[in-house]
Order: sequence, then C-alpha cells, then structure tokens
Amino acid sequence: MTTRREILKSAVAPMIVPSIVLGQRAGAVAPSDKIVFGGIGIGSRGQHDLSKILNISDAKFVAICDVRNSRREEIKSMVDKKYGDSGCAMYDDQYALLARQDIDAVLIATGDRWHTPLSIIAAQHGKDVYCEKPCSMSIEESWALAAAFKRYGRLYQAGCQRRNGANFALCKELLKSGALGKLQALYANVGPSVNWPPLPSRDWLAAEELPPKQVLDWDRWLGPAPWRPYHSSYVRGGWRNFYDFHGGGILEWGSHTVDLCHWAAEYDDTQPVEYEPVGTNVGPYQVNCRYSNGVKLVMRDNGWDGALKTGSCSFRIEGDLGWVETGDATKIECSDNIKPLLRPTESASLALENHMKELVRCIKTRQQPSASAAAAANSHVTCHAAFIAYQRGKTLTWDTTRHEFTNDAIANNMRSRALREPWRI
Amino acid sequence: MQQTTPTTPAPQAAKPKPAPPPMPPAEFQEGAIEKMDAAALTGILKDPKSTEFQKAKACQRIGELGAKEAVPALAALLGNEHLSVYARYGLEPIADASADEALRAALTKLKGVQLIGVVNSIGKRRDAKAGPALVKMLYGTDVDQARAAAAALGSIGGAASAKELQAALGKTTGMTRMAVADACLVCSERFLADGKRDQGMALYTALTAPDVPKPVRLAAMQGIIREETSIGRPR
Repeated sequence: MTTRREILKSAVAPMIVPSIVLGQRAGAVAPSDKIVFGGIGIGSRGQHDLSKILNISDAKFVAICDVRNSRREEIKSMVDKKYGDSGCAMYDDQYALLARQDIDAVLIATGDRWHTPLSIIAAQHGKDVYCEKPCSMSIEESWALAAAFKRYGRLYQAGCQRRNGANFALCKELLKSGALGKLQALYANVGPSVNWPPLPSRDWLAAEELPPKQVLDWDRWLGPAPWRPYHSSYVRGGWRNFYDFHGGGILEWGSHTVDLCHWAAEYDDTQPVEYEPVGTNVGPYQVNCRYSNGVKLVMRDNGWDGALKTGSCSFRIEGDLGWVETGDATKIECSDNIKPLLRPTESASLALENHMKELVRCIKTRQQPSASAAAAANSHVTCHAAFIAYQRGKTLTWDTTRHEFTNDAIANNMRSRALREPWRI
Repeated sequence: MQQTTPTTPAPQAAKPKPAPPPMPPAEFQEGAIEKMDAAALTGILKDPKSTEFQKAKACQRIGELGAKEAVPALAALLGNEHLSVYARYGLEPIADASADEALRAALTKLKGVQLIGVVNSIGKRRDAKAGPALVKMLYGTDVDQARAAAAALGSIGGAASAKELQAALGKTTGMTRMAVADACLVCSERFLADGKRDQGMALYTALTAPDVPKPVRLAAMQGIIREETSIGRPR
C-alpha cells in the first residue's frame, strides 16, 4: 500500500516547481488575487486613471464600455498592448458590462452628468467604483450617491487623488499636530475663472447633423441630461461650461479643493452653514462660507500670494499660530514658524497612483477608501450650495440636519435637477 | 507669526486664453428668459409661436421659481419627445398638490420613455396616491415600466408600498424582480428612518432569502448587522 508520504516524495514533489519556471515573475500575483476592473466612458482623464490601473500588479482591466466607437477601440488597443493579448472586451451598453460576474470594480470617467446615475447602477450590480470628479450634478444626487453605497455596502473612491498626495498630507499633519494652532480658515482654489466661470451658460449650440448611431449614440451620450440638439463641440469636451452638463468653476474646481479642505480638517461629515457670494461672472470671484463652529471656508478663483507658487488645485489652512499652503507643484508655502517642520515630500504627481492603489487595497480588505461616497457627498453638497448661492446672488444659510436652505425657497428648488427619461437615481 | 489672507478678491494674474468655444446662435440664447416672472414664463409655454428652446428654458426657470400657476402648461408638455424632461424639471419642485395630480393624470395618457419619466417624477415626489396605478404597472408586460414603477414605490415607501413590493418579489422575475428587490431595500431604510424598526427589520429579513438577487441579499444582511450594532438601537 502506498502511503501519502510516498506519494508526496515520488509524484507530487517533483511537480512543485518555482513559479519562474512556469513563466511567472517572482512575486507575481495569482489571477485569483487580482481585482478585476471594467471601465465606462474613458476619455483623456480616464486614460490617465486607466494607465495607473494597468500599472498595479494586483489589478486587471478587462472591459470597456463607451458610446463612441472610436473611444472603445482606443481603450481596447491601450489595454491589449499593455497585457500583450486581445482580452479587453468592448461594450456599448453599460448593463452588459455590469452583468459580468468576473468584474469587481468599475472606473467611471464619463462626463459629469453620468457620474452619479452610473455609480448607483454599478453599486446595484454589486460593483465597487472609482469615479472621476465632480461626482454629482446636484445636492440631491450627492445624497443619493452616499445613500446607495451605504445601502449596498459597496466601496466608492471619488477621483480626489490629492488625498493621497504626500505634500497635501503633510499640510493636514501640521494641522492635526497642533503646529498651526486652532483652525481659523480653509481656502480652496476654484479658478481660474477664465476657463470655467462660476455661472455656466444655459444656451444651446447650433444643431449639427447627427452622426450614425454606431459612431456616436447621442441619446446615450446625453443620458440623464436634458435633451438638446447635437453639436460636435460637446462631444469633444466642450460640454463643460454648459449648465445642463456642468456646475461651473465652483463645482469643477471645488470638487478638487473643497474636498481637500474637508479632508484636512476632518470635516468629511459636515457642510458649511452659510454661503456668501462675492464677485462677478468674469472673475475674480469667491464664496465665503462658514461652518457652525465658526471656521471659515473661502472658495476663490485666485488671490493669495502662494497660489502662483504652489500650483493648480491649491489649498490653504490657517490656524491661529500659523498657515500652510500647497498644490500640484508639490512645493509647500507656510508661515515662518512652520518652516522648520517641513520635510521633503514625494511629487504630487504620484498622488493618483497612490489613490488607485488605496482603492485596490480597500477592495481586498473591505475598508472604506479615503474619498468615500459619504465624504464626496459632503464636499460636493458644499460646492453645490456655494454654486446656488452664486446663482442667487445672495447669502444663503443652510441647515445641515434637514439638508435645506433656511432663507430662500428658490434655492431649495435648485437642490435637484430632473433626469431625462428613462434615467433615475 | 500668522499672515492673514485678504478677504476680498485680488486681481487675477494674466493667463493665456484658450481657443474660444463656438458661440450659441441668437435663437438658442436664454437672454431675457432668465429674469422673467412666472406669468411671463407661463406665457411662453402657452404661446404657439414659442420655440422648443424657449419652452425648454421657461420650464427650467419655472421649476426654480416653483410656480404652481404653470402646472397645466407644464403638464401639456409631458408627452413631448424633447420637452418632457423640461416639463418635469418644472413640475418636480412645485410644492403643490396640483403637480402631483398632473403627473398622476399623465400615467393613463403617456407611453414609452415619457411614461417612465413621469413615474420617476412621481417617485421623487413620493406621491402615495399614485400607488395603485404603480402596482398595476409592476405586473405589466413592459419591463422598463415595471422597473420604474418598482423604484417609485420604493421611494414612496410606507406600509402599503412595502406590502405590494414584498408580494411582487414572489410574483416577478428577471430584471423586474431585481428592481423590486432594490425597492424593498429602500422601503426598509424608510421604515428605519421613520422609527418603524420592526417593519424595517422584517423587510430586511425577507430580503435575505436565498433566491433574492445576491447584491440585494448581501445589502439586506449588512442592513440588519448595521441596525443590530448601532448604538441607538432599542435593547
């Protein structure tokens, strides 16, 4: 009779070979340990996101869905080239992609109008989500997003990658350590207004001849946004600065930098109670906000000395003992008393890769990522409220419990937008 | 050593301007519509000479004003292929029962995606009086309409909706059943938010059955755990 030990010695043992013999790299991740991604609506920004996913050893990208034929093929080509195969599947219907049981998470990098509805549909299909910012088109959508991800227990990472940027993290650390003293004010760069002013246009562009549906599905491109005649400029990225597709400079940039302020101050569960608009639609402009504890939040398109030194998407923290400011240039500006506390940090450009890796790590551990749906909801509601105050041209007060303005009925009517049929949230 | 930041906007630094975007033609510019009062905006909707663009913009501004006098004119556009969404943009925020009545009346007149849009708006406004009509749609042959009806019932919530949705969970199949299950989850949350813990937990428990779609089954289990472990739960 052959014993188990004999079998191990004679037959199985020789079959245990180093993975490198099988063509696998040392330290390679088994396919079953990889987080499988699909993507929906990946343009230029989305390709930047995708390039980071493709570089993560324990992630695999397997499918693209887009309403544009050219985009589908471009992404498939990019993915297949990276993996050296032809495995990236193409879809023009998001439901077909989301029905795939092998896909764990989706990258959503469509235009803003699709962000919340698609994220919620993905959660309903049991998927985790990485979604580009701005994450919502209205206050109502922001809350619905947070509610859906809580309901389904799915993970959501807003594309607020600066939360994983070392220079931004050092600024947060300086506040948390007490070096800056008691928090007085937060400053969020929401400019320059020359690109996207605070009040986007409500006009339409002239109608152009609609391309064939197999080239561009205009109905699906519009999605939940109100109908309007086709114009090629929208599809080429010119949808920004049109109210039906975009929240203007305040939402566009605020979703980057107000989010940073909330993160740094650990205000991810609240919003300011007052919003005072200042300025015109051609800039400079700002919205002065105040939290219930008296701390100020100033959204401005420019206007402090460090802005030109610290780069785009800068934010600033002021305490009663000192101040600190940083942005995409990595450089940190600060008051003299803080300078001895600074240390070199890695480039801000590494934030996106770190942010994507954080999501992959969280998918494996089921911990909440730093830019969760709830955090995104609070920072986006803040931006939407500021945007509404700017449209109303008056100071608005906000009830953080009832989620309503307390001094303007029209502002309350602007908290939501109807979605084009058949879409809903 | 604190440096204070100026509290008024400073002049912007000069920046290179991007290529100018295409200009909207005169007939597609909102212009004076932005500042019109409710009567003038309603007048645009009623005027047969008004263009599609003018009506669209008027609807949006009416919604912001919440002008109930515009309800009949808005309701008349609910079946319009391009303007239906704008009509609902106007109707959804109006805090008056006439808006609910207009949407309910449209349920028997419309078809296709315009009907789905109206159902979505009814759900958003949580109009319980639409319940019986929505229940009927749940069992119709159009899956998209049935799914919309389920979502609306979930949003409306309450004992009547929950009873119908729970019954439908056993009578529907495929995509409709998935929407019914999703709606049951929303119903459970509404019960809990309203302090009706027993009803919320009972519905969650029903959704943990093995044949319930997996995302909803898992969500219901998590809902139960969340509720059972919450600090404020009754002991």
